[in-house]
Amino acid sequence: MIRIVPREEYCIGCRLCEIHCIVQHSKSKNIIKAFKRERRPVKRVEVEEHGHVSFALQCRHCEEAPCITACLSGAMQRDRASGAVVHDPERCVGCWTCILVCPYGAIRRDGEERRVVGKCDLCPDLEVPACVANCPNEALVLVEE
Amino acid sequence: MKSYRYAVIGNSAAAVNACDAIRSLDGEGSLAVFSEERYRCYSRPLISYLVAGEVSAHGMYYRPARYYQNMGIDFHAGVKVTSLDPAGHLLVTREGEKVKWRKLLLATGFRPFIPPIEGLEEVDYLTFVDWDDAKRMLRLTAKPVASLVIGAGLIGMKAAEALHARGSAVTVVEKMERVLPLALDERASAMVSERCRRENIGIITGQSVSRLEPRGGHRGKAVLEDGSEVPFDLLVVAVGVRPRVELAEEAGLECAGGVLVDKHQRTSHEDVFAAGDAVKAMDLVRGEPAVNALWPIAALQGKYAGMNMAGREVPYPGGNSMNAVEFFGLPVLSAGVVNPPDATYEVITRQGDDGDYRKVVLRGDVLVGMLVAGNIERAGILTSLIQERANVRRVKGFLLEEGFGHIHFPRSVREERIIEAVAGLPKPAGEKAGAGKGKARADRGKGRAR
Repeated sequence: MIRIVPREEYCIGCRLCEIHCIVQHSKSKNIIKAFKRERRPVKRVEVEEHGHVSFALQCRHCEEAPCITACLSGAMQRDRASGAVVHDPERCVGCWTCILVCPYGAIRRDGEERRVVGKCDLCPDLEVPACVANCPNEALVLVEE
Repeated sequence: MKSYRYAVIGNSAAAVNACDAIRSLDGEGSLAVFSEERYRCYSRPLISYLVAGEVSAHGMYYRPARYYQNMGIDFHAGVKVTSLDPAGHLLVTREGEKVKWRKLLLATGFRPFIPPIEGLEEVDYLTFVDWDDAKRMLRLTAKPVASLVIGAGLIGMKAAEALHARGSAVTVVEKMERVLPLALDERASAMVSERCRRENIGIITGQSVSRLEPRGGHRGKAVLEDGSEVPFDLLVVAVGVRPRVELAEEAGLECAGGVLVDKHQRTSHEDVFAAGDAVKAMDLVRGEPAVNALWPIAALQGKYAGMNMAGREVPYPGGNSMNAVEFFGLPVLSAGVVNPPDATYEVITRQGDDGDYRKVVLRGDVLVGMLVAGNIERAGILTSLIQERANVRRVKGFLLEEGFGHIHFPRSVREERIIEAVAGLPKPAGEKAGAGKGKARADRGKGRAR
């Protein structure tokens, strides 16, 4: 199981993680197209900021994940192979129950034609998730447990 | 005679999550599910989405088609259990079959409450709680009809929304002064009502139906308290639900407005467990057992019941009332106390320019309730604070802010919650002596620590 861990002492609140997350989850995976021409996907990482302190936060892939238990449709599930909490947009009906129960505020409304949610999927197509790979300060690191 | 290590009566959220939990601990023990309905497990809350055409029949299923097979579950579909003998570890089906079990789960759910309204029995009215109800509604709205929904609770409002999506002219009559009186507060109710009225859904509140005048089949006329009349081609009765406790009561298990369970979801008989909408279990906010007939609560109770049935003694962490709804583009989330009963509660609200509305309810330094409408993102952080019974004195001023989050918690709390694994990580390259930006970039993606 891999997890992404924020390190607030190195985060400068530049929000590059949010930008690269959006690009990675866009149709073209091209930064200009993703932001200017296509439907912009929802960010799956959020920089929290207060005064000089900031850090980026995404789905914790909780062991006891409230979103999985609460999901009405069965769209939110545990991937047995990776241990990650994965979300199937095809089965999601956009009832927002997961948003109601996520202790990290890590799930957001997404989609245009259909109501669905979006959340961190640990970038399964990449060796290292986009937010981690593009953080200039290693304020996000991968931890393998 | 068939004999199972585990028998589950019911086939919805509590039942299936119990099966999952049992199988996570015991892959071998024989397991049977007895379901009155013929469907494999589907999501009841999705029936309004089905009628509205937002979900296909295929999308209704909560688990894949091969679920029972893959999990090694003997699935008795369309088999109603009519009596229980806890002492003899026996159940009897409607067909008279006797089945032995060692551990039993009662997940019998709720039934719609049918109020005593004069004339109701002569009308072919609908309830709106299961797939068959949805099918009936779809059939009866093949052509646009005038519909009347009695009750503006969650089920009634979802029925109204579904009927509206079917092109039906809808009127909702609610006895209380406002829609969704339990899930929402006054202001949020008004916001939802306004959206509904804009969509030409008639909302009549503070009125009950005095009598119904049947006109054959599904058609009729409702006469309200004030004498006004509402004719309808289709009537939906949605004034509330009641726990289905008959089976438990007749078996001599302790019930009081719901099957009573201990912290391990165990009933008054040590081998009989109960979970879901039929059950009175610990409510974290009220501090006493309550029936919370909600899908997420049923699923959670089922999970804990299952673990305890399989021998791992784990207490149910407790639940609380909560609701997530969206009506015509207005999402509203609420949890815990949204309508404080007296002045010992502190209420803080914020109304944004863009129609957003947020509210928190505190008792002393403990957050006991929240409601957000419009911008609902990250509301789960508030829900978790309610569930943790956390002292929020230091963050009180930030609770309703847009950017409220873990950043406002004391660092130690934040780290405990989020940064479980920070200790022992190498310092980033950028902080090492002489290392410039180039070095940090070269190291990009190598931050994988063990």
